[in-house]
Amino acid sequence: MASMNMIQALNSAMDIMLRKDPAVVLMGEDIGYFGGVFRTTDGLQRKYGAHRVLDTPIAEGGIVAAAIGMAVNGLRPVAEIQFADYIYPGFDQIASELARLRYRTAGEFFAPVTIRTPCGGGIRGGQTHSQSPEGIFTHVSGLKVVMPSNPYDAKGLLITSIEDDDPVVFFEPKRLYNGPFDGDPGKPAVPWSSHPKGQVEEGYYTLPLGVAEVVRPGSQLTIVTYGTMVFVALAAAAALGVDAEIIDVRSLVPLDVDTICSSVRRTGRCVVAHEATRFSGFGAELVAVIQEECFWDLEAPIQRVTGWDTPYPHAFEWEYFPGQARVATAVKAVMEPA
Amino acid sequence: MTRFVFKMPDLGEGTVEAEIVAWHTAPGAVVSEDQVIVEVMTDKAAVEVPAPVSGRVVSITGAPGDKVAVGSPLIVFETSAEPGADTPTAAPAVAPETVAPETVAPEAEAAAPAAGAGRAAAASDQGTGPARGARVMTSPANRRRAREAGIDLARIAGSGPGGRILRTDLPADTAAGGTATAVGTVAGGAASRAAGGELTSEIKVIGVRRLIAERMSEAKRTIPHFAYVEEVDVTELESLRQHLNTQLPPGAAALTYLPLIIPALVRALEAFPQCNVLHDAARGVLVRHRAVHVGVATQTPDGLKVPVVRNAQALDLWELAAAVRRVTERARSNQATREELTGSTITITSLGKLGGIASTPIINAPEVAIIGLNKAVERPVVRQGAVVVRRIMNLSSSFDHRFVDGYDAAAMIQALKELLEHPAAIFLPKAKVP
Repeated sequence: MASMNMIQALNSAMDIMLRKDPAVVLMGEDIGYFGGVFRTTDGLQRKYGAHRVLDTPIAEGGIVAAAIGMAVNGLRPVAEIQFADYIYPGFDQIASELARLRYRTAGEFFAPVTIRTPCGGGIRGGQTHSQSPEGIFTHVSGLKVVMPSNPYDAKGLLITSIEDDDPVVFFEPKRLYNGPFDGDPGKPAVPWSSHPKGQVEEGYYTLPLGVAEVVRPGSQLTIVTYGTMVFVALAAAAALGVDAEIIDVRSLVPLDVDTICSSVRRTGRCVVAHEATRFSGFGAELVAVIQEECFWDLEAPIQRVTGWDTPYPHAFEWEYFPGQARVATAVKAVMEPA
Repeated sequence: MTRFVFKMPDLGEGTVEAEIVAWHTAPGAVVSEDQVIVEVMTDKAAVEVPAPVSGRVVSITGAPGDKVAVGSPLIVFETSAEPGADTPTAAPAVAPETVAPETVAPEAEAAAPAAGAGRAAAASDQGTGPARGARVMTSPANRRRAREAGIDLARIAGSGPGGRILRTDLPADTAAGGTATAVGTVAGGAASRAAGGELTSEIKVIGVRRLIAERMSEAKRTIPHFAYVEEVDVTELESLRQHLNTQLPPGAAALTYLPLIIPALVRALEAFPQCNVLHDAARGVLVRHRAVHVGVATQTPDGLKVPVVRNAQALDLWELAAAVRRVTERARSNQATREELTGSTITITSLGKLGGIASTPIINAPEVAIIGLNKAVERPVVRQGAVVVRRIMNLSSSFDHRFVDGYDAAAMIQALKELLEHPAAIFLPKAKVP
């Protein structure tokens, strides 16, 4: 075990996979010589060479397209899109080519591509460095979509994603790179070294996709969330003094319906929380699944806590970010006598 | 060994739930078939429920004061029957179908107002519950609880916003299972603090007392009472009564006023049928009854009960005397059946020696009139310019002013007064125009 932040854990995962599997290559903007803008690939080009850790032009469509071609021909590319905000030029390649390849060729071809991309706000990054577009990708059939909330999960899930023979879009909540964040920007930063999930095995290990984690067991309501909002939800529930069961979805596709729904069936009350905008967001899918599976156990309408339905703002970030107060409002609403 | 689940049986038409009054057994006890195991109460009648099988009691559901829905498990037995059938279930006599919560129960004749038990008391009577045919508002979880307990949600008055049915509106045992309680929900069950040294003691409002409270509140809240007091010269009635009592066979019980007053009331109601009416609020109908079923307000050890003398118009003086004695004694000894405690069309209330000068009785809904008898006492009164001593009794009556106008109410009491002051007229045929 070693104390790692999420950047170091991800770096360790890629390091292990580069060493373990000669088919693994990393590619992306400034990931090689420079080591990545968040230092996630720091030292890896020096260690494995420029033919394994490739700097690419600033052309996301090209990055994805090249990764598909490499994957079809036997490599196992891990492509980094520097910010999820910049993923859209690659979207056609992801949705039209990458996601469909296995289906389109009746299984003859497949593309084991992992697309890593930092997402989410809370870093004063404005509209071009703060987006949470996971719902756009969960809506594309053929993609797996993962978002870890801590170093330990990040490493295990990234190794699993790289080893998966089908495409995985791997979202990294950038506000959590250096420490858990409870949504209060006024508090001093907390390092991962003080958090149990910052203790990461140095060697190879995997965590399965499609398995959510009960971060906090509870009896009064279930908060289903992922990414940065896991810690916001924990803090909000603690401040309210409610016995909330908090579930970190971790793997959005495939979704661990059993863990989520067995919890909601027990508590009868549910809040769904994510940073992304509300309308047609992934939370809507969670709510729909939960009501389909748990309708007769629901004591109250399921509540959603999300970003506002506007582009991520340059100013007023903390009015936009769905912090503890918004979670608390939803928790109170869902806890009304029924 | 095999388990036998005994469910709350249907104890009468329209019964949706029954209140546990007392358990006569406990988990672990061995009971034999037909042994009384629990006393429950529906409406106003206490019913002793016998064990359907012989065996050992594994578990019981509900504490005294709790309401248990018809069809929900009441007691689990372990019987020594041959293994084979895994868990036979005693179906209630009339197992309620699993009705969709929105379904409104068909309007059984006595169902709506008579099923005054608990909150199920015809919410629509008050106009505060959800409109008939409208969708019941409640959470999916409560719908499931009600469905599993066989409760018709249309009969539950919701206390939540907009009449929404809350979990706490459901019978306690129904709401018990399942999920956690909401924040801020106060845990119930105040322990008795009657023990030595305490300055207060707490009595749970359950059983007959709870029913009395609910029905009184309901009647007083919904009915605009019109009170009318008139004095009646019962000198001749008293003279007749005393004479009749001298003619009794040895050992027979003495006549009271009631068997004399009831036929007078029957005669008066012939001319005022609007006072012998049951108000069916759910349908917006006044049901006039040709038969006069007289409720006799009776003080019992459990509290006020109103046993019913049925078809008073068909009974003679002596039959009435016997009937009044029979129903009131059965009510006092807690033997009255549900049928004997429901179905009256008008009620007489009398406190006898405690009758006082005047009172303001509360109508026994859904009836529209109640006749109160005050104490008969000798008073100096003026007759033809001279002060004479006469036996005077006041009648203090209340009418549902929505349906009985003051004029008619007064006229009815005057007609009753005329009959009581000329007791022979009570028993003579009505004058005919030749």
